[in-house]
Amino acid sequence: MTLFLPLLVLLPFLGLPLLLVVDRLGRRAVAVAAGATMLAGLGLLAALAPPVLAGDALVLWRPWLPDWGLDLSFRLDGLGLLFTLLIYGIGALIVLYAFYYMPADDRLTRFLMTLLAFAGGMLGVVLAENLLLMLLFWEVTSLTSFLLIAYKSKYHDSRIAARMALAVTGGGGLALLAGILLLGHIAGSFELSVILDRGDLIRQHRLYAPMLVLVLLGAFTKSAQVPFHFWLPNAMAAPTPVSAYLHSATMVKAGVFLLGRLYPALAGTELWFLLVTGTGAVTLLLGAYLALLKHDFKGLLAYSTISHLGLITLLFGLDTPTSAVAAVFHIINHAVFKASLFMVAGVIDIQCGTRDMRRINGLMKYMPVTATLGIVAAGAMAGVPFLNGFLSKEMFFAETVAYPSFGGYGTFVLPAIATVAGILSVGYSARFVHDVFFNGEPVDLPKTPAPPPRFMRLPMEVLVAIVVIVGVAPQLSVGWLLETASAAVLAGKAPPIKLAVWHGFNLPLVMSIVALGGGIFYYWRRDRVFTLHERYALDFSSPVAFERAYNGATAWARAALARLDARTLAQYAGLFLGLAILVGALAWLTSPAESSGAPLAGPLPLTPVDPVSAGAFLVLVLGVAGATWFVAERLLAILFMSVAGLVVSLAFIRFAAPDLALTQLSVELATIMLMLLALRFLPQTGPAERGRKARVATGSVAVGAGLGAAALAFAMLTRPFETISGYHIENAKPLAGGTNVVNVILVDFRGFDTLGEIAVLAMAALGTHAALRGARLRAFVRDAASAADRYPIMLRMLMQPMLPLALAVAVYIFLRGHNLPGGGFIAGLIAAIAYVLQYMAGGIAFASARIRLDFVLLLGVGLLVAALTGVASMVLGFPFLKSAWTYVKAAPLDDIGLASSLVFDTGIFLVVVASVLLVLTELGRLHVVEPALRPAGRAGPEPSPARAPAEAEG
Amino acid sequence: MTLLQSLSVGAPEVVLAAGICVLLLVGAFRGDRALEGLSWASVLLLALAAVPLFDQAPGRLAAWNGLYVADAFSRHLKLLVFLGSAAAILVAVPYLRRLATARFEYPLLVLLATLGMAIMVSAQNLLSLYVGLELMSLSAYVLAAFHRDESRSSEAGLKYFALGALASGLMLYGASLVYGFAGSTSFADIAKAFVAGEVRNLGALFGLVFLLAALAFKVSAVPFHMWTPDVYEGAPTPVVAFFATAPKVAAMGLMLRLLYEAFGGMKADWQQIVLVMSIASMLLGSVAAIAQTSMKRLLAYSAIANIGFALIGLAAGTAAGVEAVLLYLLVYLVMTLGAFVALLMLVDADGRQLEDLADLAGLARTRPGIASALAIFMFSLAGIPPMFGFMPKLAVFSAAVEAGLWPLAVLGVLASVVAAYYYLRVVKIMFIDPPAGVVVLPGEQGVNPAVVGAAAAFSSPLGYLLLGPLAAWGAEAARALA
Repeated sequence: MTLFLPLLVLLPFLGLPLLLVVDRLGRRAVAVAAGATMLAGLGLLAALAPPVLAGDALVLWRPWLPDWGLDLSFRLDGLGLLFTLLIYGIGALIVLYAFYYMPADDRLTRFLMTLLAFAGGMLGVVLAENLLLMLLFWEVTSLTSFLLIAYKSKYHDSRIAARMALAVTGGGGLALLAGILLLGHIAGSFELSVILDRGDLIRQHRLYAPMLVLVLLGAFTKSAQVPFHFWLPNAMAAPTPVSAYLHSATMVKAGVFLLGRLYPALAGTELWFLLVTGTGAVTLLLGAYLALLKHDFKGLLAYSTISHLGLITLLFGLDTPTSAVAAVFHIINHAVFKASLFMVAGVIDIQCGTRDMRRINGLMKYMPVTATLGIVAAGAMAGVPFLNGFLSKEMFFAETVAYPSFGGYGTFVLPAIATVAGILSVGYSARFVHDVFFNGEPVDLPKTPAPPPRFMRLPMEVLVAIVVIVGVAPQLSVGWLLETASAAVLAGKAPPIKLAVWHGFNLPLVMSIVALGGGIFYYWRRDRVFTLHERYALDFSSPVAFERAYNGATAWARAALARLDARTLAQYAGLFLGLAILVGALAWLTSPAESSGAPLAGPLPLTPVDPVSAGAFLVLVLGVAGATWFVAERLLAILFMSVAGLVVSLAFIRFAAPDLALTQLSVELATIMLMLLALRFLPQTGPAERGRKARVATGSVAVGAGLGAAALAFAMLTRPFETISGYHIENAKPLAGGTNVVNVILVDFRGFDTLGEIAVLAMAALGTHAALRGARLRAFVRDAASAADRYPIMLRMLMQPMLPLALAVAVYIFLRGHNLPGGGFIAGLIAAIAYVLQYMAGGIAFASARIRLDFVLLLGVGLLVAALTGVASMVLGFPFLKSAWTYVKAAPLDDIGLASSLVFDTGIFLVVVASVLLVLTELGRLHVVEPALRPAGRAGPEPSPARAPAEAEG
Repeated sequence: MTLLQSLSVGAPEVVLAAGICVLLLVGAFRGDRALEGLSWASVLLLALAAVPLFDQAPGRLAAWNGLYVADAFSRHLKLLVFLGSAAAILVAVPYLRRLATARFEYPLLVLLATLGMAIMVSAQNLLSLYVGLELMSLSAYVLAAFHRDESRSSEAGLKYFALGALASGLMLYGASLVYGFAGSTSFADIAKAFVAGEVRNLGALFGLVFLLAALAFKVSAVPFHMWTPDVYEGAPTPVVAFFATAPKVAAMGLMLRLLYEAFGGMKADWQQIVLVMSIASMLLGSVAAIAQTSMKRLLAYSAIANIGFALIGLAAGTAAGVEAVLLYLLVYLVMTLGAFVALLMLVDADGRQLEDLADLAGLARTRPGIASALAIFMFSLAGIPPMFGFMPKLAVFSAAVEAGLWPLAVLGVLASVVAAYYYLRVVKIMFIDPPAGVVVLPGEQGVNPAVVGAAAAFSSPLGYLLLGPLAAWGAEAARALA
């Protein structure tokens, strides 16, 4: 039998495709299909009910994702049974009602599908055994109710209302999620059976308070408790069947359902009483007071719903067994009479074309049957004897009287609140009855009211019949239902229930009489209430507050962001570096002192500082500082940078690494030259200086980053660590026959890497060549003085004899490379620089005419040579690039170490020469469009180039 | 270990690398006409590279002297990355055609980035990690500036590059510090050097902090997130769809592996850092997104916030946490991809791409299909049940609660309430506001409608049908992480 339990939840979802299928047959078929689904649900429930009525809870449990506590498990107990009955029963009536209510041109498919999906979600909430599963369905109801409220989407009201309802209930659902996670953590499971058994453990846990608050947030938002009540009256923009179903009978009851569901686990503490009873009492009074003031009768009913939900909440908060029974009883009664009242309201709305009670009067004459139904239902709302509302209200009064706490004068607080609420509710019920059905003739209605179709009245008749039957014979009609439901809420500790109309003449009865009399008096003097309200009430309603909060949040976020969201690269980089410094500083400062004595300096002793090194260091710092300071003066900045680079090269010499120094020096020269060439396409000065403040800020970030990096380097270098350089130094001679370790690494130990690297270098050069060839860039206008002296004669004369000399040096450096500082890479750079100087001194046309080298071809040859060396050793049966060496005695030269790696080095040499020249000459050739000359001495802001690739100041 | 063995263990990368070279040559000879053919060929290549993932023996297979490992974790992430990349390649074709920027390099750059990501998630050494990360980043910089005639795109590329270079520098600093104090760059040796319970090593802590900062940059976690909105806004939309998905997955995977395998002994230290990043990302991402007027910037902040949520799982520091992060990445990948592709399909009468929130006004009436799909993505990104996007959020929150970090979980839920606000705002604009202008669907859409439809179905409650196998798959990957 339990196997059918999930079907109870799935049934409405299974109905969805059915509706789509019968869509072609017209709206009647669609309505029949939807109604049949609801009735099938009732039938299934009837089949499952007997064991539940006998006091058992049906539980079906299938593990789904046990790791995350999510299981497919359902539970049908008394409380679930009650709600399932309401959802399917009232649902069936609503479908019938909606068929007549919705305009004839509405095909109903979309509407009823959403309604069914909502019913499915609601069933999931009440039948889920796993709390996480319940939460899933909880939000299904939020989403579908959003769609239902926004159903008449062309009206602005319904769109705003739908958004508000979703924001409040959806947000509350997320709070509930947090609460459930905590609850599951405390109880050790998300299964209700487990949680309900561990009430004591939960109540004593230190996380009880935050968990309770979060869970209650979920419940209160859903049940429209103050201060989250404002979405409900606005949700009345929905079609009336939706209001009748969601906003009176089912969805808003999900919140109080949750209170009932978790009652055994959470109730019974001071905090529970304060929060739940307090919220309930405020909601009860405020809702009842505001209801009278509404001229729109749907608004009146909405506030009345809020008030009744407050009443139920209050009863759960009182936390005595009988009060919980009263709460459950009122859930039933309220669902029945409020649904019928909304249906009556819908009929009136359609028949009169307005919902303003100042214009709708005297409908008793026009639709006597409907009016009678409405009057009876309103009587139940007011708590008139022999109607169901009277019974639960009486129980409520009795509970407030019996409640033991407060002491002294405090004893009267709860009964007083209850009586006042009773007076108010009689007042608004009286207004509804008197204004709508009596009170003279209708005023200026858009159309003449007529009775509704026969079958539209049927749902109301059924519900009102229940109102009367329960009111007259409570124990017979609903005693059984109330008993099982209460047993579920109270976890088997339910008191014996004896429902009766007459309890004898006692205090609650006096309170009822006072409420009835006072209410009628209150309604009689209502004009005075209206005046007072208009005079003193703040012109500030919750929807307005919501909108303000909504817009305010947007504005605030925008303003906050304007400060955070800098959007320029400089600011981002500053932020990034600043944060990196901060993170580093935090890591240093927060680490415990015992990790090492002096955290920054390691155990290694410091080398003594000699004056020359100190001087060089100062020059280095000055160079870097100068480059930073004169960053806008581009030429100066580059010169300063070259100073810094030079000192670095010298530092290598100082620490006895001439090979590294030479490499560094040649790379330095080539890059500086590259930058100088690029400078021609940039204005002479950079973008305008920023303010002093910004300079200080960027300056401090720069200094901080520099100091941080220095500190890290210092920390690293003062600590002993093993490097692989020892291995290379020891093995360079015996294994590769060379003493220049750098060169040996390049051509031998890491020959494979080098082959890859020169290939990359070649690719980069070719890429630049391909990108720049044929590009047209306009160089910047220079003044006449410098233009006249473009190629100084002295330089040109000096450079021509330099070329063979420089090339000779290159060859020398190349040959000795294996043992002494030098090698193919450095030699290549030297040769390339020698050539480039020719270009610089004589101009591109002059040099191109004399240097007839095809650099692309050269590049290919170099790569080929290098690769073939590797292949050759493979052919000879060695691994790729394995080298061999020998020494050749050749007078008048020194010993020349002839290694096979020399051939490989030749390849490197060629590739380096060709790459550097390819890139530099291509850059030098660029400016084809010669700018016009301008008179000397006016170096103002220049026009920007038409299409400069290096436009870096974004 | 012979080269051949290494090649077979690293087969996905080898296939990818070789294939890229071939396709590059084809592109060089055929020119931009080959874009569509190359795109499909690239997807085929990705599928081919994915074959060894299913074929490999279970367990850990090391290669290249321990620089590289193939295990369930890397296979899981690689499959996700390949999927994301393939989608990013295909959805871009109609867009590139439309804007006359159909250059054949696009699919190849994505493939190169994918190769980098594959190396990243298999890295067992700081060096291979760096190589993979840089290969991915360099391709990404170029992709960001792919629309090079448009200043916004160039600016995005430049900013991304400059800041990315800074982050790489930071990473190298961290790596060299770790190397200095551990004496090795291999994850296993680092783990041996920094054992839990020993006196904390300041240098290692520094190294860890810098490594984490650089990785935070890559996943765009606060406080190293600042590039994200600008790059998302400036870069071409299909490129952003790519950035927001596969690289995030790869970088998070890398972070997981690095923290668990290399720095498992320093959990107490990194847990705090990750915790702070997580909270800051969630809060800043959620609050800042509210103020956005551009859909792409909004999704950028949403990405920041979502990374914050994913970091919750990482902060938990448990196996359940890893599993949750993996699920988060998977679902996030699909939702974000869907959202961007849906955005990609909208063009106004002048052929201008619709990117502002205001442009979406009333979309439900003009383009109900796309509007509904976008609404599903928004609800799902907000983590509102019953959308599938709720599941990963639930997973990370429960992992955090189980690990005793319940305040983090509560903060996370509060942040998602704030986040829900701006996602709902998008829905409101589409469904409630009156239509703003003409929205036309450009003629050629390629696979985009199919991608959006599939992603929407996955993000909707239908996704729960796949939850069982997905969770089992993720659990297997999480177990592989030592």
